[in-house]
Amino acid sequence: MTDSPRDDDVPRHAGGDLVIPVLAFGFTLYYFSTIWDSPWTAQVNAVLVGSILFVCLAALAVRIARDRISGRIDFGFAELIAPVGLLGKRAAFAALTLAYLLGLEYAGFTLSTFGFLGASFLLLRGVRRWHIDLGLAAAMALIGYAVFILAFETRFPRGPFEMLMRAVLQ
Amino acid sequence: MTADAAFFADLLVHTLSMWWVIVPSIFLGLIVGAIPGFSAANTIIILLPLTLAMDVEVGLIFMVSLYCSSRMGAGIPAILVNIPGTAGAAATPLDGYPMVRQGRGQQALAISFVSSTLGGLITTVVALLAMPLLAQVGYFMHSVEMVVVMLFGISLIASIAAKDTLKGLVAGLFGLMIGSIGADHVYATPRGTMGFLELYDGVPLIPALVGLFAVSEAFLVIEGESILSRHGLERVKSARWAETFEGVGITFRRLWHVIWTSLIGLVIGVIPGAGAAIASFVAYQQSRTFSKTPELYGTGHPEGLIAPESANNGVTSGTLIPLLVIGIPGGATAAIMLVVLQYQNVNVGPRLFIEHPELGYGVFMAMLVTYLLMAFTILPLSRYMSRVTLVSTAYMSPIIIAFTLIGAYVPRDYLFDMYLAFAFGLLGYIARKTGYHVAAILIGVILGPLMEQYMLRALKMSDGDIMVLFSSNIGNTLWVLLIAAIALPYVLQRRRDRRADSVFAEGEG
Repeated sequence: MTDSPRDDDVPRHAGGDLVIPVLAFGFTLYYFSTIWDSPWTAQVNAVLVGSILFVCLAALAVRIARDRISGRIDFGFAELIAPVGLLGKRAAFAALTLAYLLGLEYAGFTLSTFGFLGASFLLLRGVRRWHIDLGLAAAMALIGYAVFILAFETRFPRGPFEMLMRAVLQ
Repeated sequence: MTADAAFFADLLVHTLSMWWVIVPSIFLGLIVGAIPGFSAANTIIILLPLTLAMDVEVGLIFMVSLYCSSRMGAGIPAILVNIPGTAGAAATPLDGYPMVRQGRGQQALAISFVSSTLGGLITTVVALLAMPLLAQVGYFMHSVEMVVVMLFGISLIASIAAKDTLKGLVAGLFGLMIGSIGADHVYATPRGTMGFLELYDGVPLIPALVGLFAVSEAFLVIEGESILSRHGLERVKSARWAETFEGVGITFRRLWHVIWTSLIGLVIGVIPGAGAAIASFVAYQQSRTFSKTPELYGTGHPEGLIAPESANNGVTSGTLIPLLVIGIPGGATAAIMLVVLQYQNVNVGPRLFIEHPELGYGVFMAMLVTYLLMAFTILPLSRYMSRVTLVSTAYMSPIIIAFTLIGAYVPRDYLFDMYLAFAFGLLGYIARKTGYHVAAILIGVILGPLMEQYMLRALKMSDGDIMVLFSSNIGNTLWVLLIAAIALPYVLQRRRDRRADSVFAEGEG
């Protein structure tokens, strides 16, 4: 197999590869700090697993360092955030998801699901066919309400819509 | 009343006449199985007032049908959109989803339905024939033996990590550390909980499953218009019924594979507390070990789909054996069935088969009939279900997020669990983008606490002597099998390489 000149010249952006190992390392250290004064029964499993994890992380660090020295990788994050053109949309989608979770507590399942679905459809598809997208969001939210709250009587977060419907249906 | 051929024939005809309970239960089970968070156990609890009001026989048939079909239903989103409905289906997308991306969704669903049906039928018949013998398995599987069974499941991490072993191991071990969060099993010391009371019982599985698979997938697929490759898109659009028949044919040509992987499920199901997740991971791992084409696993290989689906349906009959024969429920659904039976003044245990043989054997007959009816009701739907993959990701992603995050809320009614699912989603997204396998993390999260529980129990019994793990004959046999199972793929690969080299050398010569 022959590498293209581009493959030889451009190092892979491997900064993203470090995120999981750093999280794993940090969490394991934190975990150890919580079992420091605990009885052996609370320590044995984590010490065993954590020790093997540290060995693997050390081996991974050596491999990454070797690749960095030889110029095969750099610590850029381009591969993690690619495609860059979609970064704003993806961040907005994540923000909408977080807003959905926050809204559930106050607006209840049906209204917040409608709001989240409607806003997400408009974000991802554009506003050209907004009436179809909002209609679909309303239909999905109402189907969810009928199936989960009316039929299955699950304890999904209740809000103004659910209160109103309860009053109407009683 | 004696349990002879005429008795079973009568029972079969009688159970078939209960189709009006079984068919609606099948569809309800498929729906609740497909939504993460809505297991058969949850649904039976929700519908408990209705179940208790039913005649005991009708109530049992309803619960059994719902249980079997929800197991099959959990595989549908696992295959179509990479979101397992329950932890028992967590190994299903490993090969099911790549098949979908290649445009073989209809075929993958047919393989899943047929292997689930065959796995369920085979293990039900075996359970009926060998019930007294199988009921004893639980007595021989103590904490020492269970540690090795857990290691069988955990060894799947190494297989998944075949492309990049180091990254796979880091992901799996990180999962095991996350799985260790919570109060310890002996003194209830909180460990790694970051101050959240909601984590004292450990990391709940459904939020982890929803986050790692569903949320991360939803953020990833918005990069394209469709989850399908261009070739896959054309294939789905032009798919005919032949795709379904091809899937059926593929499964029947691997009947022996279905048989032995479903028997793994049956035996693991008999062990109280083991469950479908362990069975499907162990079956997938063993299937890969003994396969002639292990390198194809993870790329959309039918055998990689047959193994977990057969095994997790094999578990279904397994979990009911200890309940009916010795009165110990093998899982959550079996425990709820016990409540219903006790409410109706039916005593489980050996006397059940003497006093109420129509109920004792009737449970397995209901299972048999459910699987038979399921084959005819669900298989024709595979063609239409697979068209879900044609939905634009701009619609699919928000719907996945909205309904799976709310699914994470269902088991415990904690809003915290939804935030936890979101956090797991971010972790899963980073893992997928950087080549760390999310299934390896999930295996750790699922099996880590179970492994710790069994290991601590063994160590407590021996005052901390680690050699207790090698103190039983069955345990030692399992250790030898585990080492063989881990070493065998490398030995077989070396033999294949050597054979290929010699063929190449002969060709050159």
